[in-house]
Amino acid sequence: MKNILTIIFRLTVACLLAGLVMGIAFIATNKAKKHNMHVHEHKVMLSLLGYSAKNPAPESVAMHPVYRYLVGEGEELATGYLLPLRDGAFSFVTIDLAGAFVAQTPVALAVEKAREAEDRSQAISAAIGVEKTLRYADQTILVTNGGKRTAYLLPGKFPGFKTFIAAMLALDQNFTILGVEIMEHEEDPGLGGEIVQNYFKKQFKGKPLETVKKLEVVKTPLPEEYRQALEADKSGLKAEEVARIEEQYKDGDIYALTGATISSRSVTNGVKAMVKKFAYRLAILDRVLVEQHIATPF
Amino acid sequence: MATDKTNLQLVVNGILNENPIFRLVLSMCPAVGISTTVMNGFMLGIAVFFVQVCSSCTIALFKNVIHPRIRIPTYTLTIATWVTVIDMILAAYLPEAYARMGIFIKLIVAFAIITMRLEMFASKESVTASFWDGIGMGLGFMFGMMALGFVRELLGMGTILGYDVLGFKPLLFFVLPLAGFFCVGLMMAFFNYIEIVYKRARRA
Repeated sequence: MKNILTIIFRLTVACLLAGLVMGIAFIATNKAKKHNMHVHEHKVMLSLLGYSAKNPAPESVAMHPVYRYLVGEGEELATGYLLPLRDGAFSFVTIDLAGAFVAQTPVALAVEKAREAEDRSQAISAAIGVEKTLRYADQTILVTNGGKRTAYLLPGKFPGFKTFIAAMLALDQNFTILGVEIMEHEEDPGLGGEIVQNYFKKQFKGKPLETVKKLEVVKTPLPEEYRQALEADKSGLKAEEVARIEEQYKDGDIYALTGATISSRSVTNGVKAMVKKFAYRLAILDRVLVEQHIATPF
Repeated sequence: MATDKTNLQLVVNGILNENPIFRLVLSMCPAVGISTTVMNGFMLGIAVFFVQVCSSCTIALFKNVIHPRIRIPTYTLTIATWVTVIDMILAAYLPEAYARMGIFIKLIVAFAIITMRLEMFASKESVTASFWDGIGMGLGFMFGMMALGFVRELLGMGTILGYDVLGFKPLLFFVLPLAGFFCVGLMMAFFNYIEIVYKRARRA
């Protein structure tokens, strides 16, 4: 009995010590890790828009993040958007579920602090009143070039085969898909894990909204010429040839990955839902912005 | 029961006489799985080096309060703690290397070499001796991984550290995990041969 007690006591102490060491390491490295993730995200965004180290984004390109929240007041539910204004301030616009404008509240928030989820929701709560419940929904980045809207970036999450897949979508101003990038996933390596490969994710590129709305997954094998066009960096196909083949397939469905139909379907449905919902919400938001004369930089 | 070896002998012992890969034949899975290039071998070697040194010192420091019945769980806990710390540090400061190595770093918890070293050495010796033994074992592992990586990268891809040195790919087979076993076997034979020759020369 005495033995058991000493074992329990010593193991507990050992676990506490281990926890302490790990906690210190976590606090010490967390900031750098977040910074890395931010840098990585920014790089992915630029590459989706077609910019790279060789072809850097011009000065006139600006990114304006818009955060969407669900605002609850008693039984009432509304959508809230945190919008950057032209003079650098922030405004929180609530729109009810039918799409009608409810209220506009100025939010006191510094630009750097808007990135931190906690600081952001605190500032909004303080602006709209603490009695209302606030739940973060998602984020959209509106890209402008010289004041004109050129593209939308949608970071999002959808269910995959086992757990959530985090992806980043780029759309042009007509909601045609510019590219899809998988940010995080836990699909099976070699099967569902292939969703990160160009021959799968590049299939989404160039699909217009109308096609995306009724996008399906087909289980026929990927045609060889399409694969070569999708993996142009490997096959060395010429740019005009790639453009011709992509044009030919741009209204087609998504070819499923071999042995990973569920993962293929999850990504396709996820992308489909994200694009459809975004197009719907943006139309409402834009109408409200015009009606209320809200001066946003996009 | 202190060791009678000097610090330098402890380090050399880990690299040559008791090399984790070629002599003790421990932690074969990572050795075979990751040693496809020199750089991969080096990265994992560095990680194992730190985990081994930190764990050895920790166990040597606390050896008198570790209950003998639960020493293996305690070792695992210690190793897991240091692996987590290394994992977080790499993720924060070397994100590009981490993207490639991340999944293997977590596997270090199950590396036989570290547990075995804690059981055989650190739990009986002083902190200083364990520190040098950890350095020796870590360097020995790193040396083994890099030697394997050198052969496999050169024969499989014709490159060294990513630079094209041969201009052609002699044997693609050597990049595959299976070839890791052949490589380990051949190199083990090579090192044994060198030892025999060395001993014979000394006797004569």
